Amino acid sequence: MSSFGELLNNLVAETTQRSLCHFSPELALSGTIVILLLMRLFGSIDRWIPPYFTALVGSLAALGLCGRQLLDLLNDGAASEEFFSGMLVFDPFGAFVRGLLALFLVLVVALTVLTGIPDREDGPDFYALLFGSTIGMMIMASANHMLMFFMGIEMASVPSYAMVGFLKGRTKSSEAAFKYVVYGAGAAGVMLYGISLLMGLLGTGTLVSETMPDMASNLQLAFAGTTGIGSAASMTLLLAVLMVMVGLAFKLSLVPFHFWCPDAFQGASAEVAGFLSVGSKAAAFALLVRFCLSFVGGETAVLPEIFTGFGVALGVMACVTVTFGNLAAYSQTNAKRLLAYSTIAHAGYMLMAVSALVVVLAGGPGAGLSEGVIGETAQRCVEGLLFYLFVYLFMNLGAFAVVALLRNHTYSEEIDSFNGLGWQAPALCICMAVCAFSLVGLPPLGGFWGKLVIFMSVFKAGDVHWFMYVMLVIGGLNTVFSLFYYVRMLKAMFITPAAEEARPIEVPAAIGNYALLLAIPVLLLGIFPTWTTNLAQRVSEVLVP
Amino acid sequence: MEAIGLQPVLFVSAVLFVCGVVCMTTKRNGIGILMGVELVLNAANLNFVAFSRYTSLGLDGQVIALFVIVLAAAEAAVALAIALNFYNNHLTIDVDRGDELRG
Repeated sequence: MSSFGELLNNLVAETTQRSLCHFSPELALSGTIVILLLMRLFGSIDRWIPPYFTALVGSLAALGLCGRQLLDLLNDGAASEEFFSGMLVFDPFGAFVRGLLALFLVLVVALTVLTGIPDREDGPDFYALLFGSTIGMMIMASANHMLMFFMGIEMASVPSYAMVGFLKGRTKSSEAAFKYVVYGAGAAGVMLYGISLLMGLLGTGTLVSETMPDMASNLQLAFAGTTGIGSAASMTLLLAVLMVMVGLAFKLSLVPFHFWCPDAFQGASAEVAGFLSVGSKAAAFALLVRFCLSFVGGETAVLPEIFTGFGVALGVMACVTVTFGNLAAYSQTNAKRLLAYSTIAHAGYMLMAVSALVVVLAGGPGAGLSEGVIGETAQRCVEGLLFYLFVYLFMNLGAFAVVALLRNHTYSEEIDSFNGLGWQAPALCICMAVCAFSLVGLPPLGGFWGKLVIFMSVFKAGDVHWFMYVMLVIGGLNTVFSLFYYVRMLKAMFITPAAEEARPIEVPAAIGNYALLLAIPVLLLGIFPTWTTNLAQRVSEVLVP
Repeated sequence: MEAIGLQPVLFVSAVLFVCGVVCMTTKRNGIGILMGVELVLNAANLNFVAFSRYTSLGLDGQVIALFVIVLAAAEAAVALAIALNFYNNHLTIDVDRGDELRG
């Protein structure tokens, strides 16, 4: 009995002294949710302090905590550390993505203040959903166990279903939410079945661990000396991984699991669409990298053929996704739908980095690359992904924010409604121009460096498998194609004259300043990319030694 | 009582899974699709419990099954609320009638 007491004491000590500190950003967000919901019970407080103020303070607190954690980690040169008995992991990679999500949350809350969605009555509900979803994404970014993998995805998804349908009484909004929830629940179910097979096969759900048996070590035990996909066990492994990928591909809106994305974005308000397009992508990519590294990040490559094939399959998916997203965006007349297809295409570009990572780590030793070169290339892949995510945060949110802010004046989200606005709302339209050119990847904007780093890592991975070169060519061609549909939006703004009957609009200065706040980092990241790439490099060095 | 072994349980769960997927893909009624999802989730739960009994997975599997039951309830609550909202706007929950958003 005494040993049980000791165990309990250790657990309590570990939780209170270590785990809760690492979990502080999520706790700050959880506390904000409770305060937001309680404030409504005490009627008069609600009138003095608007809900967005509480939300803004809460998200800034989370951002501060995340920033401090990242700085502490980088200054100490710390490696990864598991907490909550190995359920989550605390490392620079997770801290970087969580910081990104917290920064993003602050910007989204600021945007909702400016656009006035939600109204004051619905404020607490909306922010509770927004914060709950962000907590889920943060858990996704630091998950180290298949249970937290699933919980994180569900915690991020379930509030976002409700947020998509938040505009009550609109047929399009209800349709979008219904489609999203039906697809989402289906994908989550298939993914859970895959997780159950994977855990049953490997006997553990821990992704990577120093002390406990993890998936990488159990994989080596189970498949030592096995090659090819002949055996029943390796077929099961492949099936399980594919099923898990269904759920992740749904979150990343990769073809062929992208159907929900344009519908959900068009039906939802532009603020929610912007939140989903960046937040859930960033978190899902972090999760995908962790999931892939649990198989191919070990000391010795296990089942190299299968996992090289898996990496190439990811590459094929990336090529199809990029091409499809760009082609489908051409014919769109609704700005949110066009940006939804652009989001799909960008998920494809980022997937290229993950594909190169898997191919290099799994196939590198077989292709005769030295350990140093493999590690170096793998780090470049993660670095490219992180830098891209950082730029993508500003440029994609900027594009959605401009759509949301102009909607409040023109009451429309069709591209035609932007006609002639370039001279009436210069700050917003210049922000849109910067974001659009950055999304295309033109220098000297941030998006250019993001694409460049990813394409360079893909080029290096070409030594392992020829398909990487094909992927590079397809990625490059798509970058050129994508120019045309972004320019169509800018043409409406700056060249096409406004319709005769259109009323001239006047945009307040605060809104213009917010738009510039998003456009300036895109420009700065393009001119001075080294600061962020250095940060991303240091983060990736810890993740992929 | 004699243990029946892992394979029969896995077989039952695979049948449940396929039933769920078929239900999800063929039903046009929104609630029907959600019922298919529940079948798939329960198939996975059965797998987890079976693996925790017969393999080295241990208690992890049973704990996950508990979490999934709670999560499925939460998801069903949100999904039914959204289905009701869809019904209020369209007077049907036939998923094929949601055809305003396309292209």
